[in-house]
Amino acid sequence: MSKQKSDLPYGALDLFILRTLDTMGPLHGYNIARRIEQAAGGTMRLSQGAIYPALIRLEQQGWVRAAWGVSETNRKVKIYELTRAGARQLRVEIANWEQSTALVARFLGARS
Amino acid sequence: MRAALQRLLALVRRDRLDRELDDEMAAHLELAERDARAAGLSAEEARLAARRSFGGLDQIREAHRDARSARSLEHFWRDVRYGARAIRRTPAVCAGIVLILAVAIGANTTMFSATQAILLRPLQYGEAGRLVVVMHGGRHPVSLANFDDWRRQSRAFSSMGAAEYWRVNIGLADGAERLLGLRVSPDMLPMLRVPPLLGRLLDSGTSAAADEREVVISHGLWQRQFGGAPAAVGQSIQLDGEPYTIVGVMPPSFVFAPFWAVGAELWAPLPRAGVTASRGGNSLRVFARLAPGVALTQAQADIDAVTSRLEAEFPGTNRNVVVVPLKERVVGDTRLAVVVLMGGVGFVLLIACANVAHMLLARAATRRREVAVRLALGATRLQIVRQFLVESLLLAGLGAAGGVGLAALGVRALVALAPPDLPRIADIRLDPTVLVFTTAVSLAAGLAFGLVPALQSVQPAPGEDLKAGRGGSADRRQSRLRDLLMASEIALSLVLLAGAGLMVRSMASLQTIDPGFDPRGLLALSVSVHGTPHAEPSRRAPFFIALADRLAALPDVASVSAINHLPVTGDLWTRSFAVAGRPPARPGEGLSAVYRVVLPGYFTTMGMPLARGRDFTWRDTAGSPGAVVISENLARRHWPGEDPLGKRIVVGQSAADPDARWLTITGIAPNAVSDTWEGGGGSEVYLPYLQTTDYLTGSASRHTYLTFVVRGGGGDMRALAAPARAAVVSLERGASVSDVTTMEEAVGRALARPRFQLTLLSVFAGIALMLAAAGVYGVMSYAVARRRREIGLRLALGAPREQVRRMVLVQSLKRVALGMLVGLAGAAGLTRLMSNLLYGVGPGDPATFAAVTALLAAVALMASWMPAWRASRIDPMAALREE
Repeated sequence: MSKQKSDLPYGALDLFILRTLDTMGPLHGYNIARRIEQAAGGTMRLSQGAIYPALIRLEQQGWVRAAWGVSETNRKVKIYELTRAGARQLRVEIANWEQSTALVARFLGARS
Repeated sequence: MRAALQRLLALVRRDRLDRELDDEMAAHLELAERDARAAGLSAEEARLAARRSFGGLDQIREAHRDARSARSLEHFWRDVRYGARAIRRTPAVCAGIVLILAVAIGANTTMFSATQAILLRPLQYGEAGRLVVVMHGGRHPVSLANFDDWRRQSRAFSSMGAAEYWRVNIGLADGAERLLGLRVSPDMLPMLRVPPLLGRLLDSGTSAAADEREVVISHGLWQRQFGGAPAAVGQSIQLDGEPYTIVGVMPPSFVFAPFWAVGAELWAPLPRAGVTASRGGNSLRVFARLAPGVALTQAQADIDAVTSRLEAEFPGTNRNVVVVPLKERVVGDTRLAVVVLMGGVGFVLLIACANVAHMLLARAATRRREVAVRLALGATRLQIVRQFLVESLLLAGLGAAGGVGLAALGVRALVALAPPDLPRIADIRLDPTVLVFTTAVSLAAGLAFGLVPALQSVQPAPGEDLKAGRGGSADRRQSRLRDLLMASEIALSLVLLAGAGLMVRSMASLQTIDPGFDPRGLLALSVSVHGTPHAEPSRRAPFFIALADRLAALPDVASVSAINHLPVTGDLWTRSFAVAGRPPARPGEGLSAVYRVVLPGYFTTMGMPLARGRDFTWRDTAGSPGAVVISENLARRHWPGEDPLGKRIVVGQSAADPDARWLTITGIAPNAVSDTWEGGGGSEVYLPYLQTTDYLTGSASRHTYLTFVVRGGGGDMRALAAPARAAVVSLERGASVSDVTTMEEAVGRALARPRFQLTLLSVFAGIALMLAAAGVYGVMSYAVARRRREIGLRLALGAPREQVRRMVLVQSLKRVALGMLVGLAGAAGLTRLMSNLLYGVGPGDPATFAAVTALLAAVALMASWMPAWRASRIDPMAALREE
């Protein structure tokens, strides 16, 4: 596995991708990566390529679906789109993350 | 093999997915590069920046592969491998299961291949679904004049054709052979839309010319007589002494007609010269192709309109003309038998499934600890259920493999056993459709018998099973389930046994039918002199008389005679007749009787002594007063309470005809079966051959042959066949001998179909009985094993062994009785569906039901005896010390 990935909490990348597709609508890989980088505002070290293994996993789980389209440079690219199951999954994951971060915050707050 | 296949599959898919990823990455880098250039970097810098922010290409590829491969297929193969190991751990049980399944699936596959060939597969003609037959009552032949009118006047058909039975002598270098052919109208063969293998079909453009001497031959005849040489087309052959030109050869699969004259090997034009406008002689089978867009009901309405016009014009000639789909005409009589047998074999499969389900339940019980451990280690219930199902499907797969092997043998046995007149019997084979059926059935069976133990296995709480080795809370539920399985096996078996029992009874009634003659020690052979010098009217009768003498002179021959059409095996012609002194019949209500023409001594030879009067003699010739013998049925119907002897009738002529030849009734013959074995005897008239002008002088091939019957002195009648043939050839080298058979064989053939159905249903019922016995044995053995401790305690407390044995038997018989009640109810309902297959016994026959119930009870009792005996031999000390 790529070592850059360890800089992100496990499962966060999936969440970012789902969220991006949810707000932006169908995108190809490069735009997804750019959008995540922009949102992170340079606070995160992510190889852009890491989204591709994540995308195929999400596709196999039926959370996103891909269709062939054409990029701005006139190349064949896959355009990814959130499925209904993916939208449901996004809500579940957001809830999970909120729970986890609240827990972590409480724990850290209690220690200090 | 399996691993190789899997690797290949992955490789193919992997290449595609890798290529797609590479495309995506290239597009990604290009976009990144473009954006970097737009931000003011040089081309080289932009390229590097894009690469840098993307990350290592190979690492991404690797990660991509990892992400997509760890999926369900992998899990599936793990389950399969685990399942295979589990199966190997209990080889005996699993071998038993596979064997049971192989037998049941094999029987189902065999039977389905017959169903597929007979009922499901379309006939081998172009657009066969649009072909129909148009006949009286949907099955009785039609006259040429009617056929012509129907063809001209109907609108619903794109074409209409007719065919006539044609027994023909083919002249060969070494004598003559008698073949079956058809005379067909010009449209007949083209209508079937089967192109000839070689040459062409009959020339429909010119065959209005009556003396067209063209013939199309079958692939089989072409191979046999011409060694498959293409030069056969254009050659001339002698048929009934006339030269015919072979114009075409049909492909090997071609069969016409499909429901009658099935073995026809020659097709020649229907002669039209000299045919009168008579609507009386019905000899044609009429076929038609529905015009595009015309439904069957519309075609029937069209024919109704045509025939009611004709009926008004020619009363009594055009009634009840029915359009029937050709397929229906072919398989209609067979459908019920096939459906009943398919149902029977389906029951066998259900019983097998119940058996296997029980065996798997017992096996699952011993694995409860294993399941509990896996659940405790975090396996989900779904995973465990899936694991069990995969095992069941593996077993079903092995069973299916064995079943297909058995079916390959079964199909061969089926074809060998089947009566030759079963339609489309030659088409029975294991084709892809059959294999798809087998696969589907096996999958369904695997799920059916696998789901129950799979769900059962995850029922109890894991903690409980980890503690207790046996006797958990699921016990009661499980044992109820087992009781249910056992009872249903009994019920299903009883239904099958009842069906088979009824067939046995029916067969017995068929065999006790008195045919009216004595078939033992009789040999029959048909002799035709058509196309030989002896067909000359002046030489024909002397030839047959001389032949009768030759045959009578053979050693061990008691008597000899001859007839135009033998009962059971021969054709059936009817003729109108009128009684002297009675008012002439109104049109369409004329009297008719089966028409038999015999040589003297026929009644003695056949063993049907005349009730009254006298047999014909050699003095009943053209010059002497006309004589006729009538059957008892005819006598009773037309001279009730009167003595018909001496009364006069006229046969085949009008009573008003001044030239009518009046015949005096000289004898009353016992009723002999007419054509079908169970059809009984009809109204028949027997005329002396030497007084029957048609037979003495007619030139058609149907008038130049006789069927000889030879009664032996008790030896093997088949041994007489060769000397009888030699006697014919010694008188006329060109004469042909055909249909040589003993009457016992002929009767056997008449019963071939019911016997075949009986055989199959008995085999299925036998398998069912064995499976049910094994099921009872298995359930009871298991029940005894589980109650070992309790029984040991009873014995230790002084219960007599006798009582223990009885307790187990009673327990078993209670469940058997429950199954029987359900089975009897089911049998009463289901056997009604087969009532048309039965003869001389009703569907719900109490005696039969009682007998099969007793049989099943006896078998169940025997199957429970062993476990009961074992229970009584339990050593109390050992049983109590266990655990």
